[in-house]
Amino acid sequence: MKKITTNIRKNILHIANLALSPHIGSALSCSDILATLYFDVLRLEEYENRDLFLLSKAHSAMALYATLYEKGLLSKEDMEGYYQNGGTLPAHTDRLTNPYIEISAGSLGHGLPIATGMAHALKLQNSGRNVYVLMGDGESQEGSVWEAAMLAPQLKLDNLTVFIDRNDLQGYGRASELLSYEPIDKKFEAFNWEVLRIDGHNHEAIKEAVETPTDKPKMIICDTTKGKGVSFMEDELIWHYYLVTDEVKAKALKELEESLDEK
Amino acid sequence: MRNSVANEIKKVAKQDSSLFVIAGDAGLGVWDDFKESKQFINPGVNEQLDIGFGAGLSLMGHKVIYYNIAPFVIMRPYEFVRNDVCYQELPMILIGTGSGITYAPAGVTHYVVEDITLASTMPNLDIFSPADPVEAVECFKYAYKSKRPSYIRIAKNGEEVIHKDKIDVTKPIFIHKSDSKNILILHGSIVDEVSKILKIVDINIVSVPMLTADFDWAAFLEPFEAVFTLEEHFINGGFGTMLRDRVEKKIHKFGLKNEYIHKIGNRDYLREYYEIDGKSVGEKINKMSK
Repeated sequence: MKKITTNIRKNILHIANLALSPHIGSALSCSDILATLYFDVLRLEEYENRDLFLLSKAHSAMALYATLYEKGLLSKEDMEGYYQNGGTLPAHTDRLTNPYIEISAGSLGHGLPIATGMAHALKLQNSGRNVYVLMGDGESQEGSVWEAAMLAPQLKLDNLTVFIDRNDLQGYGRASELLSYEPIDKKFEAFNWEVLRIDGHNHEAIKEAVETPTDKPKMIICDTTKGKGVSFMEDELIWHYYLVTDEVKAKALKELEESLDEK
Repeated sequence: MRNSVANEIKKVAKQDSSLFVIAGDAGLGVWDDFKESKQFINPGVNEQLDIGFGAGLSLMGHKVIYYNIAPFVIMRPYEFVRNDVCYQELPMILIGTGSGITYAPAGVTHYVVEDITLASTMPNLDIFSPADPVEAVECFKYAYKSKRPSYIRIAKNGEEVIHKDKIDVTKPIFIHKSDSKNILILHGSIVDEVSKILKIVDINIVSVPMLTADFDWAAFLEPFEAVFTLEEHFINGGFGTMLRDRVEKKIHKFGLKNEYIHKIGNRDYLREYYEIDGKSVGEKINKMSK
């Protein structure tokens, strides 16, 4: 898994550099969650019966693209067409670009309402498929998140799992300084969700949390570090928007290679 | 119109288990015999959720109908309709009741006099303003078969049936044929002013239920000298504006003045105040035709 997540992070750096696009910190923050989901959790063998993953914090789309490439569901050419003129993949997702990109997203607070509808549809269809959503922590400031948070337990959607990438760094600062969502676990518990809080970079912990049985919709709050894996990007606000130049890329790749050697 | 459409939906629901209705805490009495169905939900007062939730069901293959009072269908959750429904190309059907100033004197929060303008900004959204229960049901049937998203704006209940024959909602439907060289085109429930108009002026009158229909308006209007439009919507940004964009011929528009309505009174009173009632329109057409 270390090799997989390192490859994903390397490709995030690669396409961020090719495109000179922002949001590198956000993409690195959730790479371990995506890697665990795509390589250890999601059932994707039969397309018609696949589990569904919705990237609601779609400004991290680079992480999704790099993960889909690593999983063999996206070509290298398509991945490298990210953010390019006349390219293949936009900065925020468009569901018409690839069959495994489940929703068009980018505006925050949309993923959970859509996922709630999907999960309810699957219940109506007596399907055993599951729906997974990844939200940002700043995203929980959106009112629509709480509209869906009220409905999902009432509909007994035990086929719905939500991850919050809690890196405590949103666009222009820490939530605690802007508009705190804490105590986020108690809030969702009060809404009748099954809530777990884990290290969002620990694959075993992520998998274990997903596998924890419950008859409620599940909220997994993942404590993460923005920019994870590249020391000079970790927990630094600027990497929400700063661009990955050739120099930055070389320095970051060196670190990632070395971390692989350590293992 | 409201009950006719609801009854048609309930009828189709029996044959199509994929059909699913979301009612945003609206429609007392309309859904009473359907609310226990697995194909129905009233998730409360939360329009963003209604649209997003509906998009999720639609992505999973359901034919989703979202029913609410019109201001809460397009205006309140506009960005959700744009991103989740239209951009994702989902064939959801949005049904808004209380079109125009139907709910006068509820106040401007409950009027929708700019919804066509907003709906027109979404390129794949088909817009319907049926004039009577027959048009309303046919608009629903069209939307049900369509692969595009649809917005059907209906007034309320108890409207008179004006069509006795089978209709095609994608074309103008003649309500009154005359030897006059002039034509009045109606969009929506304002059709109930027709008898008052005809008392004052003899003119060809058509109803146009589907605003976005791919129709050759230039050819249709070619034989007519003066063309008038009438709708219960802001005069700028509604059906008349759309028609002006499509043809070179001069279009004389009647509609509500683009201003916030602080005047208090029922729909008929406000129609008279804004001079879109049959008498005012008939007199203006008479004057302009001379």
